[in-house]
Amino acid sequence: MAILNRGAFAHPSTSLQYHTGTWRVQKPVHEHRAAPCHNACPAGEDAQAYLAKIAEGRFQEAWETIVRINPLPAATGRVCHHPCEGACNRGEYDEALAIHSAERFLGDEAIKHNWPYPMPPAPLESAPAVAVVGAGPAGLSAAYHLIRRGYNVTLFDELPEAGGVLRTAIPQYRLPRDILHAEVQRLLATGMKFEPQKRLGRDFYIEDLQRDYAAVFLGIGNRHDREWSVDGVTPRGLRSGLELLEEWVALGSVPTPQSVAVVGGGNTAVDIARVLKRAGTHEVHVITHQALPGVDVPPEITMTAIAREITQAQDEGVIFHEFRGIRRLILRGEKVVGLELVHMKKVPQADGKLLTKAFEGTETVLHVEQVIPAIGQDVLPFGVEGLLENRPFFAVDHNGALAKHPGIFVGGDACGGRGTLSRAIGDGRRAAEAIDAYIQGKELPQPAPVQVVPYSQINLNYFEHAARVKTPVLPLEARKGSEEVEGGLSQTQIFAESQRCFSCGNCFACDNCWTLCPDSAVLKTTELASDGSHYVFDYDYCKGCGLCAHECPCSFIVMKEEL
Amino acid sequence: MTTETISITDLRRTQPRFSGIESGHRACLGCGQALAARLVTESAGPDVMIANATGCLEVFTTPWPESAWRLPWMHSLFENAGAIASGMEAAMKAQGKHTKVIAMGGDGSTFDIGFQALSGMLERNHNVLYVCYDNEAYMNTGIQRSSSTPHAASTTTSPVGKERMGKRHLKKDIITIIAAHHVAYAATASVAYPSDLRKKVRRAMAVEGATFLQIHSPCPLGWGYNDALGIEVARLAVQTGLFPLIELERGELTGAMPLRHPTPVSAYLKMQQRFSHLFKDDPRALEELEHLQAIANHNIEIYRLRGDGIDALDSEGSDTVRRGGSRWA
Amino acid sequence: MPQMLEGSMALARAIALCRPQVVAAYPITPQTHIVENISKLVADGKLHCELVSVESEFSAASVALGAAAAGSRAYTASSSQGILLMSEVLYNIAGLRVPLVMTCANRAVGAPLSIWNDQQDSMAVRDAGWIQIYCADNQEAVDATIQAYRIAERTELPVMICVDGFVLTHTMEQIEMPSQEQVDGFLPPYCFARALNSAKPISIGTLVSPDFFSEVRHSHHQALLNAKAEIVSADEDWAKVSGRAGGGLLGVEGDPGAKVGLLSLGSVIGTLRDALNEYPEAGPAKLIKLRTFRPFPTEALLETCAGLTDLIVLERALSPGSGGIIGTEVRAAFAGVADAPRIHNFAVGLGGRDIPLNIFPRLMEAAKTASPIPFAIFDVNLEKLPESER
Repeated sequence: MAILNRGAFAHPSTSLQYHTGTWRVQKPVHEHRAAPCHNACPAGEDAQAYLAKIAEGRFQEAWETIVRINPLPAATGRVCHHPCEGACNRGEYDEALAIHSAERFLGDEAIKHNWPYPMPPAPLESAPAVAVVGAGPAGLSAAYHLIRRGYNVTLFDELPEAGGVLRTAIPQYRLPRDILHAEVQRLLATGMKFEPQKRLGRDFYIEDLQRDYAAVFLGIGNRHDREWSVDGVTPRGLRSGLELLEEWVALGSVPTPQSVAVVGGGNTAVDIARVLKRAGTHEVHVITHQALPGVDVPPEITMTAIAREITQAQDEGVIFHEFRGIRRLILRGEKVVGLELVHMKKVPQADGKLLTKAFEGTETVLHVEQVIPAIGQDVLPFGVEGLLENRPFFAVDHNGALAKHPGIFVGGDACGGRGTLSRAIGDGRRAAEAIDAYIQGKELPQPAPVQVVPYSQINLNYFEHAARVKTPVLPLEARKGSEEVEGGLSQTQIFAESQRCFSCGNCFACDNCWTLCPDSAVLKTTELASDGSHYVFDYDYCKGCGLCAHECPCSFIVMKEEL
Repeated sequence: MTTETISITDLRRTQPRFSGIESGHRACLGCGQALAARLVTESAGPDVMIANATGCLEVFTTPWPESAWRLPWMHSLFENAGAIASGMEAAMKAQGKHTKVIAMGGDGSTFDIGFQALSGMLERNHNVLYVCYDNEAYMNTGIQRSSSTPHAASTTTSPVGKERMGKRHLKKDIITIIAAHHVAYAATASVAYPSDLRKKVRRAMAVEGATFLQIHSPCPLGWGYNDALGIEVARLAVQTGLFPLIELERGELTGAMPLRHPTPVSAYLKMQQRFSHLFKDDPRALEELEHLQAIANHNIEIYRLRGDGIDALDSEGSDTVRRGGSRWA
Repeated sequence: MPQMLEGSMALARAIALCRPQVVAAYPITPQTHIVENISKLVADGKLHCELVSVESEFSAASVALGAAAAGSRAYTASSSQGILLMSEVLYNIAGLRVPLVMTCANRAVGAPLSIWNDQQDSMAVRDAGWIQIYCADNQEAVDATIQAYRIAERTELPVMICVDGFVLTHTMEQIEMPSQEQVDGFLPPYCFARALNSAKPISIGTLVSPDFFSEVRHSHHQALLNAKAEIVSADEDWAKVSGRAGGGLLGVEGDPGAKVGLLSLGSVIGTLRDALNEYPEAGPAKLIKLRTFRPFPTEALLETCAGLTDLIVLERALSPGSGGIIGTEVRAAFAGVADAPRIHNFAVGLGGRDIPLNIFPRLMEAAKTASPIPFAIFDVNLEKLPESER
């Protein structure tokens, strides 16, 4: 029992003996949720996480954060279509963060300073061995993640050098060869055994691999051009976009008629169109039944090519014809002199599916000397006929496991779909995890449902509008040969850009909760707390008013019912 | 070191800030005054002495034998905080000490019952910072109107009925009255802008003489909004122009937080139960809404609140946060 | 060496001898001369203190409270309406148990307005929890003021020294002013254990629940009762220093064997001294000076009154609808006492009404009635009132 003192005075801080936490019916908790950029990345990169490291000035750690997921940031920073930026919550506020610039910067810094990949100890000689066929993005990623998981990896490729499509079909003006070479060489040095100029079905066979290795990963791409004709008619000397692109990449030249129509809406179509422009073709048209990218254009009808590449192509003079199809080839003998185009659009059918329709009465004629189909490729069945079973692509599950062939996993373009670089890298990582589980005889853990922080949960009061950093691009008149079109950014610019990040769903130590709690029930920690924040709740005193959650700029604090 | 290796008690003891008010006080959930008082004590530091008028703050911090204060503190009466503080300051002067005296009171004890003692304190220019936590009514006694209650607000003594649309009179312009005492520094602040608030406390503390700070302190119970929305409400009071953040030195306007985009007053009013009658289908409601908008417009005009472009210290820039909390420096 | 001094001047000098650090006051007649004299002492550099000229008596008491709580010896003074205006603070000071000394230059309370002397003001705050000491003359006022600081600071109770307005405050008397050495030797520097201090921060003025409020009131009541010893010892100790005793709780003069006692307080005692000399034929009487009204000296009173047949209580205030305040309390003190004297109660000298010396024989005569006089206002001329209000 308290004993009364004179004048009923009280000693300091004695209120601490009264626990106001007992009043609470809901409590604030730190809940790390995925930023939209993280959720959108096919490779699985957490851009928010590495932007946070950049913002703290810890550039090497930022790079390490990336390469724990994607070992090729210098390449992806240039070539990837960056769905992260499309998903970025900041895009709704002013402009999305230039995530690709940050990724590219870190990739380049790692090459410049020779930062070592964060690798565990090298695999034991006795560790199981895995064969990876195809040293493209999927194969390199799978090999790297398998080594990180403690396996011995042999990487086969039919070409003398690793890199796959990055090397054979991405124009140098998008991905300079010295950068690609340096990054791939550093990656090969992480411990994989590289066997170049070994072609599956010629130098070795699937059965050999199944016999000699604990598991097999196929990252063999899609090297077989699809058949293309208009009502069964093909012009003489037809060459595909990929074929010409590889020729340009390998030799630095392609035939240059006065006017060309490229058919297709993907990256190959845009790339070859830009290459032809550079090579000297006066008039380059791209014909696609899809739409040019735009703010209000639904993704399912949008061209699959990277939006900024399309913009650069337009800048360079490539003429795009959206919602257009080819009704007829106009030939003089076997030689093309023009195309009859017609307006086309995907329209929903009674069953809800979209079907491409041509609209009568909208026909026009385009005079061109050459038509180049760039409508995609299938898997070349050579050496894998028994696995492919006449399908254009391998039928795999989410983790790349090939149905009916235990121990064989496939990833990248060989699995069909949109076939992006980041997807291929993600496939390689997921397959490595699945291979690990397969070899260990374990069940793969079910991926937890991902909760993404929506724009509506960002407290915008705490952010100032700030323009996205401008990426330097080569002036049009200089875009002749292989010189890279997009330039890199300085460390200062990247640092400044990182400060724009909303840090969706992840604490960035802004002090708001600590400052605004009327009950001093938020305590600041000197080091990172276990949940990744810099604060802990003192539930002895937290009354559960919810101010901290409402004022948390990045929605890292959420209120949970308590009964 | 991680939090697993340090007890929460030790962590509390080693917080990198001084706080004059400890946890365990019995303020309502989301209390604006509790927050405002803590922010004031943080900036004022430990070498201060508090004279606290009767009111919520006094009651919720000191139910004997407990006290949430970590500062020498005294509560005497409702209407004499200004005089008690004057006496404390005279004692400090007599003893040759430099402990700064801070008087604290709500709007009732400042605008109304304690106004005379406050005026005397200002006139004699005691070295005291007087802080008024303005929550615009007598909240401690159950939400009765004060001279600080805004026009048209409903309280238990300015209720809405067939003949009335809430308070008939205007909110007393206390800051101008204070400034007319020719004090070196008088300012308004809001809990929604803690950096601005702290800056003003520091400025006032640096003055040798009487200074005054009026802090808009939202009251979830009295204003009728969800506990979690106190900062939001307070921010809108500023952004509409209904609670201008200004600084007056020797009676002259020397600082005003510019409004980047003045928000219509309805955005602020509709969040609060005390103004809910203004959103009923009633011609009187529309007139009162227009009246309050006109008051906001008037404030914007006389204090020249409309900014001319983006300013890092305007109503939208001032609460910008940065990684690592550097905005609070 | 006695000097001819006006009461207020003597009081101001006595205050200065106590070395107050903060003085706060607001002008009201008849307190003004005290504060004016203090102000002059400050202006002349004879007293070093913070003199705060406030905007009301309410603030005067509050400033003094704030200063005392913050560790400085403080002083204030007031009268009449001013006492009533500060009454809320007076309760507060006592409840906080903060040592403080003030002078009440006693004056009637309006309405109607009267600036002249009675004691309605200090009687109105008799329940505030202060020690109240009444002074018969200005020498007593000087000595009591010095004692008051020691009593207040030892008991942590505030002390109100009541000095009749004009009758004492504005009257020249031969007064022996103590030396600074005498006062310094008697009164140590101000030391308040609960003083506010940023190095040792405590909270004063908390909210107390019903679970403890009765105990708070009990302890306050007990503190006042216990203060009697301190009041007596202060008087005795001061007598050793100055050679003058004020009478502790209660002073007794006149014929010790008398059967009739006259009890009063303040300057009435001085008038009665003169009257007893003037009218020896009116019979022997014991003159009882109620020096300390709070705490009420019940035991001392009973002892002093042993053997009296009649006790005439004279006071300068009343509780309308009840009667005399002190008379009632004196009666209560004798409740259940065997051979208690008959108690007659009169209010005298209200609002500055002159108390004639022949009051003594007239009272002695009046006390011869068959039954004691419960209460009457002395010298009321009913002819001055309309019929309906007599």
